Amino acid sequence: MIVDQKKMENLADNLMAAEEVQGRSLWADAARRFSHNKAAIGGLVTLTLVVLFTLIGPSFAQWSNEEIDWAVLGQVKTMGAPSIESGHYFGTDELGRDLYSRVIQGTSISLMVGVIGSFVAVVVGTLYGAIAGYVGGRVDNFMMRLVDIFMSIPYMFVLILLLVIFGRSLNMLFIGIGLISWFDMSRIVRGQTLSIKNKEFIEAAVAAGVSNFTIIMRHIVPNLVGIVIVYASLLVPGFILAESFISFLGLGVQEPNTSWGALISEGARTMQYGTLWQIGFPLFFFTITLFSMFFIGDGLRDALDPKDR
Amino acid sequence: MFSFILKRLLTAIPTLLILIIVSFILMHSAPGGPFTSERALPPQVEANINAKYGLDKPLHEQIFVYVKSIVLHFDFGPSFRYKDRSVNDLISDGFPVTLTYGSISALVAVLFGVTMGVIAALNHNTWKDYTALGFTFTAQVLPNFVMAPLLVLLFTLQLGWLPGGGWEGGKAQYIIMPVIALSTSYMATIARITRSSMLEVLNSNFIRTAKAKGLPYQRIVFKHALKPALLPVLSYMGPAMVGLITGSVIIDMYFSTGGIGVLFVNGALNRDYSTIMGITILVGTLTVLLNLVVDVLYAWIDPKIRY
Repeated sequence: MIVDQKKMENLADNLMAAEEVQGRSLWADAARRFSHNKAAIGGLVTLTLVVLFTLIGPSFAQWSNEEIDWAVLGQVKTMGAPSIESGHYFGTDELGRDLYSRVIQGTSISLMVGVIGSFVAVVVGTLYGAIAGYVGGRVDNFMMRLVDIFMSIPYMFVLILLLVIFGRSLNMLFIGIGLISWFDMSRIVRGQTLSIKNKEFIEAAVAAGVSNFTIIMRHIVPNLVGIVIVYASLLVPGFILAESFISFLGLGVQEPNTSWGALISEGARTMQYGTLWQIGFPLFFFTITLFSMFFIGDGLRDALDPKDR
Repeated sequence: MFSFILKRLLTAIPTLLILIIVSFILMHSAPGGPFTSERALPPQVEANINAKYGLDKPLHEQIFVYVKSIVLHFDFGPSFRYKDRSVNDLISDGFPVTLTYGSISALVAVLFGVTMGVIAALNHNTWKDYTALGFTFTAQVLPNFVMAPLLVLLFTLQLGWLPGGGWEGGKAQYIIMPVIALSTSYMATIARITRSSMLEVLNSNFIRTAKAKGLPYQRIVFKHALKPALLPVLSYMGPAMVGLITGSVIIDMYFSTGGIGVLFVNGALNRDYSTIMGITILVGTLTVLLNLVVDVLYAWIDPKIRY
């Protein structure tokens, strides 16, 4: 049989051409949706600027965060106001320390709390939820009942109890926030796992004799990435708020370290003397960062969560 | 219904026991005993004191005694800081104050939040809706510890209308600012939840049927739409209550209202373990009970739940 050489070549060309048409992946779709969301992009830009400020800001600082400007001490209201000449761009606090450096330091600690909290939430919450959901039955029942019990405990009080007993240190604060951070995430992940578990590709993996652990790590967890990213981003502001709450009470970050909560608390204590910049600057950074995080979280949810479409 | 309540009660008990035992072990493992002071006591005296408070017994016995005295007599033991007062005395001084402004705040948050949400949903995409949305969005970044100083700045320092702190037996002008500071963010969340669930309900088939039957508008809104729309609000009430109780710590610290929050923070700063534990357990009990009430109410109202 004679094969029409020309026709075959054409066919091959056509096939090649067809392959060049790029399909849009789920992620590309999500990225497109996210980039069309003006509020989310605005939030992302603002958050990036705040992060850059904590990274680059220190090189412009003329005073360290612990250094006391003795020339200002005692007359903070007049001499400690924000000014370019004195080098205190944001003014000084009540003890004559440079507020610019302190705000940078507080911002980086507060952001770090958010990052660490969500990291633990993602790692522990995802694994815990995926295992409970995949194994199911009595194990699932026990694991989730445990989370229910943990969640009905007033965690802020337990966190403070932990801080009191093991000493008020930054590490303890991170551990404490990490301990309580993953409950919500594990519930969400479990729910999602329950629906993934009955899909055909899991059945195929089981039939092929893949071990449970590999199924969870290779087939379940990758399919959870979208929802985990969304909820991690929505949880971050909560961790920052929790840390600020504790530091506002003076039970969290200890001097000379500081955080937004501690700075707002200091500013609030001295505002009756008219030194309003002491509360203004920390509050400004607190507010814009939280706002942009909420916008980003909402944007991610709209982009990645299939339920809302 | 009865068996449902019983079942929920049975899960509440282990929760509380775990809370008590974990906090007791935490307290026990803390460095330094309650009677360690800068001046070292003679060993015999210390042993006597320890014997008096039962601290020489093994850990499990101590836990048993502690749990028993709480369950049987609701007795949290003596305060480690104020030697002449028991934790019960301290709590019974502060708790009524916290309860007063806490319940007013909860009421304000629910009433205003639901009203705002319903108005926003009924006037979807008008200026009223946008105002409510703007408020709920702004309130997300105004937690109680930001609201409290801002309120004092405005009403006390600038306008001079309200006292900046104190309680004075709960006179109205001393309650206003704590209530606003505590309730704002919950009010906003309740408004947001009410708005979105109300919008969903208003677009559902049974409301269309009610409209087609020619029922008056008010009747549709209040009799048919509001009840199902409030279910998500009800399920938010559990976490909201926990938030209000936790927030009272800030209120007590900032406005010097003299509730249990200030006891808790001072206890934390002074390592007054028994007081902190007493308050943690009290708050835990309250949380569990409130969650129980919310769950039962939910099961009672929602026809979809069969127990």
